[in-house]
Amino acid sequence: MRSFLGRRSFKAVFFTLSALLLILIAVPLIRMIASADPATLFTTMAEQEVISSICLTLRSAFWATIACLVLGIPLAYLLARTDFPGKSLVQGLVDLPVMIPHTAAGIALLMVFGRSFFVGKALGTIGLDFVGTEAGISLAMAYVSIPFLVNAARDGFLGVDPKLERVARTLGASPRQAFFRISLPLAWRSILSGAIMMWARGISEFGAVIILAYHPMTAPILIWERFQAYGLKYAKPVAVLLILICLIIFAILRWLAEPRKET
Amino acid sequence: MLKLESVRLQLGNFTLSDVSLTVGQGEYLVLVGPTGTGKTVLLETIAGLHHPCSGQIFLKGINITHMPAEKRHLGVVYQDYALFPHLTVFDNIAFGLKLKKKGPREISGTVSKMAQFLDIQTILKRRPRLLSGGERQRVALARALVLDPHMLLLDEPLSALDRMTRDRLRGELKRIHSELGVSILHITHDLGEAFFLADRLLVMKNGAIIQEGNPEETLKRPKDRFVAELLGIENFIPARLGGGGQLFLEGLGPGDPPVFPASPAETEKEIFLAVPNWAIQLFPGKNNGDIYLAMFPMTITGLDRAQGHMKIHLKHAEGEQLRTTLSWREMNELPTNLELGQEIPVGLNRKGIHWVPAES
Repeated sequence: MRSFLGRRSFKAVFFTLSALLLILIAVPLIRMIASADPATLFTTMAEQEVISSICLTLRSAFWATIACLVLGIPLAYLLARTDFPGKSLVQGLVDLPVMIPHTAAGIALLMVFGRSFFVGKALGTIGLDFVGTEAGISLAMAYVSIPFLVNAARDGFLGVDPKLERVARTLGASPRQAFFRISLPLAWRSILSGAIMMWARGISEFGAVIILAYHPMTAPILIWERFQAYGLKYAKPVAVLLILICLIIFAILRWLAEPRKET
Repeated sequence: MLKLESVRLQLGNFTLSDVSLTVGQGEYLVLVGPTGTGKTVLLETIAGLHHPCSGQIFLKGINITHMPAEKRHLGVVYQDYALFPHLTVFDNIAFGLKLKKKGPREISGTVSKMAQFLDIQTILKRRPRLLSGGERQRVALARALVLDPHMLLLDEPLSALDRMTRDRLRGELKRIHSELGVSILHITHDLGEAFFLADRLLVMKNGAIIQEGNPEETLKRPKDRFVAELLGIENFIPARLGGGGQLFLEGLGPGDPPVFPASPAETEKEIFLAVPNWAIQLFPGKNNGDIYLAMFPMTITGLDRAQGHMKIHLKHAEGEQLRTTLSWREMNELPTNLELGQEIPVGLNRKGIHWVPAES
């Protein structure tokens, strides 16, 4: 009887704690969405500045994610499959952007990709300017959100039995073919999930973006600017709109990344 | 067909040391050894998945030591079959054919033929996750065989299966071998499997091959105690091989020192007599001629009933313990029923006994 009660109370404690956390996440969002006046929301949706700002945010985060998929998947694969000296250092380096303050990350990026440093200067001569440009926004977003993609992809590759690649090799596949036909298709859900996380993190980035590119204005900066200049009433509709758009897109992407039941 | 010359390999803490072996055309070679002895690493080295530090590997007379795995045309089947989970059975089998850029019609025909040969036509559209162990094994074999490999490398292909499926599929392996004539290197730790399938047996220990021969020969003449134990021998009687070609069974007491001729060339040395279960004869009768190496009374200390046989534990007055197994039929033919604590005469049949060095 005691153990039955013990089991029940154990579950009850965990249930209560979980519920508290979920409430903490959901209530501010629900309160904000619920308090939005539909008429103001429609007016905001018609504002060119708001729409282009949201589009810019989604687009910049998208390109940041695409670029990091190209660069991050090979790194994730190497981290999953090979042992090399300094591997833990490399892993630490990948995680670093999550830990440092994002404004500091923005300043660090500015110091390399700004016009005062040879890298920024050299890239500027071939037309790739990172200060006050969409490329700069993507760069800042990529820098702070890359760990989400690399770590998820690495875990995805770790979940693929290396024996499958070996068998593929014995069946005539080159290492490249084994990667593209076996490892990548089997790890893609994890990679997609990481990409969604990275994209989401990129969209929400404020600190690093504002240092590198105040203009053109991404949605988080627009919300902040309206809040500073006109107060909560003007900032809220933009925030609600961004949240709603993100929720819809993420719901679709999450659904795509869900494993299907096999028949 | 396949020849390894002094192949050495360092892989982390593991070493393959000076492995040399040959597999003849159409031969079924079984490599036995305990878990963790390097059998899989050796198989993967032959397949081209690890590269040896030194030594050479020849396939059909061609040096393939540095040839990439995908160019060797060797079929590999792993213990867990390593079927591609995202592909159907058909696509698993067709994987290699597609890489060879065969046309869809040719692929379909070849896969169907192989599926028919292995009786898996009805599961071609299914995913590996939904297959039974036996079906998975057949699919893995089909995937390797459909490419008409020079040789099949099988890494414990039956150990993940239940007993009935295992018994059925080892017969299947024998059929595949005899019908296709493909050379096979099969690694296992299951002796029943090894004796059932092997034309020749290799014994591996700590990354080295320590004995090779046909199964019967290896069982009769184990090189050392390790090999004898691996081959299922449970009884080891400490003994001394005398310089004059005499044998003293030390563990069976000084009061009855049986003296028998051994190899006269041997100098005095400490040995073990490796005594298989069947060489322990209960109620041996008269030792007319050279049937028994020794005869002495022993006490029954244990009787373990099992399906189809009885395991009998025996103890000599001086402490030596032996174990033997009798079928129910043999039990019925005994002159008396066996009981715990009963003292019975025991003979060691000379034919089955071989000596191994005390130190290996």
